[in-house]
Amino acid sequence: MAPPVRYCIPGERLCNLEEGSPGSGTYTRHGYIFSSLAGCLMKSSENGALPVVSVVRETESQLLPDVGAIVTCKVSSINSRFAKVHILYVGSMPLKNSFRGTIRKMSEQLKKTRLLVEIYKSFRPGDIVLAKVISLGDAQSNYLLTTAENELGVVVAHSESGIQMVPISWCEMQCPKTHTKEFRKVARVQPEFLQT
Amino acid sequence: MAGLELLSDQGYRVDGRRAGELRKIQARMGVFAQADGSAYIEQGNTKALAVVYGPHEIRGSRARALPDRALVNCQYSSATFSTGERKRRPHGDRKSCEMGLQLRQTFEAAILTQLHPRSQIDIYVQVLQADGGTYAACVNAATLAVLDAGIPMRDFVCACSAGFVDGTALADLSHVEEAAGGPQLALALLPASGQIALLEMDARLHEDHLERVLEAAAQAARDVHTLLDRVVRQHRAELRGGHRLVLGAGFPAADPAHLHVGERHGLHHGGGAVCGRRPCPGFCPGLRRPPQEVGGSASGLA
Repeated sequence: MAPPVRYCIPGERLCNLEEGSPGSGTYTRHGYIFSSLAGCLMKSSENGALPVVSVVRETESQLLPDVGAIVTCKVSSINSRFAKVHILYVGSMPLKNSFRGTIRKMSEQLKKTRLLVEIYKSFRPGDIVLAKVISLGDAQSNYLLTTAENELGVVVAHSESGIQMVPISWCEMQCPKTHTKEFRKVARVQPEFLQT
Repeated sequence: MAGLELLSDQGYRVDGRRAGELRKIQARMGVFAQADGSAYIEQGNTKALAVVYGPHEIRGSRARALPDRALVNCQYSSATFSTGERKRRPHGDRKSCEMGLQLRQTFEAAILTQLHPRSQIDIYVQVLQADGGTYAACVNAATLAVLDAGIPMRDFVCACSAGFVDGTALADLSHVEEAAGGPQLALALLPASGQIALLEMDARLHEDHLERVLEAAAQAARDVHTLLDRVVRQHRAELRGGHRLVLGAGFPAADPAHLHVGERHGLHHGGGAVCGRRPCPGFCPGLRRPPQEVGGSASGLA
């Protein structure tokens, strides 16, 4: 099968900077690449460029939301100016402890359409929202998120009667039982991921 | 009755060791499933337990968050039954605070904090039995726990204490040797590069002897490194070999928002996540990872 995987510990010298480029789980010092995690050594051979040397653990360690990452969050409370959310998943990985985030009204402005979006018409408490991290925040605030793209926005929402709603357009969702329409900023789902 | 000789004429110490010999070290990693990382170490009769949580969001005042690094928070606590006489130690007393500060300085030097800005890493160390060399045991246990949690570190941190009796440097002091009143030095070392993370001594020692004592402590720390290396590899062999039904970091600790996605949204799931305690009723096809996948090839870490 595959050649025996080499197990390394932090501080172990892996290779020269000329033989590989540092990937995740490594750091460089004095022209050498050292491991910073206890895990298996992986070398990905790229065509042309140097192989990327990385150390991977069997159990994935905690990921932190980074700028530009797509996160899945749940709206906890809303205000006319912003919506406070709990960040639950970063990409497709669940977080052990949820982080707090904020979606601000100003960031909702889509430059193309110039629509001033109302928070009350975009989210409600309990909605599951796909958002992107725009800032890690400063001393006073949490992670700042935005839903100002077509693929971002509300994914799952429940109507006031408690039934999960079906999206009708980019700004409306309808309850299948009571047929009431409610305003939400709906995320446009990629067609290939729709269950038919 | 003859007085207690710390070093006999034949070169044996009180417990029969040689001058540069360490006590027996046994360690285990991953003793607690609920913490991110945990480890237990026994150095002779000194027993220490370390638990690591993190990196997670800053608890308490957000003003303490550092914009470019993670905050390392260490707390040391000594059990009431750890010494010969039962002594109740209040939580914020001077020794605990000082030890916590020393541990923090040690681990801030070793953990790559720049990778996790605006977050916090908690290291809690508990001494269950104190028979000399408590700082060293705490550091060794905390190193294994940080490794178990998967927090990137520059290198292992290995610590050992050393003393000086009758012109000979002793490594790894026990309580009897510490109580005798001679100079004691505590050293925390990063073995691969030979860099010193922390060096502490509060006694009087002539500078001519410092070199020898330092070298004895450094050699002992390197020996500790060899042992800890073996413990880490053994732990990994156990993980791979034995049946492990507990999946990795996929369980959310409390489950306030069990996510049911009616239709898949525009993300590549790739078998990454696991739903909470309730078995998922098949509603979230992309979020369930089959149990056999543990230990297989890692999914691409973004």
